Amino acid sequence: MTPRLRALAGGLVLLAALVAVALVDAGRRRPRSGPDHEAAVSLGLPDLVLSSAERWLRHPSQAEPGAAVSDLPGAPDVDPAGALIGPPRAVLRVGGVEPRRR
Amino acid sequence: MKRQLALIDFALGGLRRRLGKSLALTLGLAFVVALFGAALLLTDALRAEYARGTGGMPDLTVQRLVAGRPALIDVAVADELAALPAVRRVEPRVWGYYFFVALEANVTVVGATEARTLADGRLPAADGEVAVGASIADLLGLRVGDEIGIPVEGEVRFSDVVGVFGEDAAIRTADLIVATPPHARRLLGMPEGSATDLAIDLTTQDEAGVLTERIGALVPGARVLDARLLERTYELTFDTRGGLLALLLLPALAAFLLLAWERLTGLGPGERREIGVLKAVGWGTADVLAARMWESAIVATFGATLGAVLAYAYVFWLDAPGLLDALLGWSALRPPMLLVPAFDPVQGFALVAAVVIPFVAISVVPAWRAAMIDPDQALRGGE
Repeated sequence: MTPRLRALAGGLVLLAALVAVALVDAGRRRPRSGPDHEAAVSLGLPDLVLSSAERWLRHPSQAEPGAAVSDLPGAPDVDPAGALIGPPRAVLRVGGVEPRRR
Repeated sequence: MKRQLALIDFALGGLRRRLGKSLALTLGLAFVVALFGAALLLTDALRAEYARGTGGMPDLTVQRLVAGRPALIDVAVADELAALPAVRRVEPRVWGYYFFVALEANVTVVGATEARTLADGRLPAADGEVAVGASIADLLGLRVGDEIGIPVEGEVRFSDVVGVFGEDAAIRTADLIVATPPHARRLLGMPEGSATDLAIDLTTQDEAGVLTERIGALVPGARVLDARLLERTYELTFDTRGGLLALLLLPALAAFLLLAWERLTGLGPGERREIGVLKAVGWGTADVLAARMWESAIVATFGATLGAVLAYAYVFWLDAPGLLDALLGWSALRPPMLLVPAFDPVQGFALVAAVVIPFVAISVVPAWRAAMIDPDQALRGGE
């Protein structure tokens, strides 16, 4: 075997090793089934916490049907979750509450 | 075999002589595969994560609409619906939202009746107790034993934190405040005897369609959500988001293929002379073509595999910075992503079909043109 073919074989082994590392890591990441996951599932909520900043985004499957601008006329787009930039946070502060801790 | 090994050896020599071009193509292919692969891996992992939690969803969810918007529903309706055939259980649910200025995000207050143990504490069993999600606990510095006060109708109502959800359940609970239904009603300022919606479990899901019609006739303004339809909607949502991402990446793919075409078609004088010498010493057109194809195959193998591993590392080790924003939006209470890979082989084939096959395909024509060079003209430096 020539040095070039040996180098190719070495490169292929290295690639295989990288794939093996990824596969081993994927195998170790088993789905979680601890008490927290069971309790979370038992709540029966329909949606994931993917976008929590608006109610129709935290639970998009429960959103109001046919409501393009549901809260007030001229309100920002109700479904901006696909945007890289969200609406101004000041808009959302209206009607917000301040939680306290003790 | 020996002949092919010799051709591969020659192809490796060619790649080495044109190291800059070879590296540019390999890295370009790896980059494009990594981009598309990351979008696919992320979408599949989220889809699988959602599917793992659908078992707890009610078969039907009944909302009441007033003027086209969800309104509170009377819990007495639950008794009427419980009498319908094929209905096993009807549970009035209490849940709603609060915007916490300190967090700049909405939290979800949920009433729960089941007593369950968490890794850190438990779900609330008495009024005045709450369990909170990992993101809320982190951002407000809450631990089991603390109290959280929420202003309700002019006065601050304090609740004991009796449980904190762990990060392994964060994708469902990061923004939750779980309380008993009466306490959740108080926190949300809802009147007694009212519920946000009704959760219905059926003896068989096949009856969902018939029951939806009956409930619609029985409860004025009812909107009935079928769990199977919600699952389907989620599938489509992830597909759409993933598809949009892939669409955004198309220009990158086109640019790469254009670069590959330009690099592969542009035969330099050195390469022309090399092919001329090979053909002059007896190499056939098929041999030259095979050597060029081996070059492309080596670049494709290394580039695609490297790209796939990079995509995996980017999504599962680095949590896909940037890409996750595009897929998920701008939530301020985003949970820590502990995603589990759920690779769909069909998606793998789609990736190969979208990126690797076009790359190999566009390398065939230049390889054929190179193989067809007349050796006499090539050695004399003619076109």
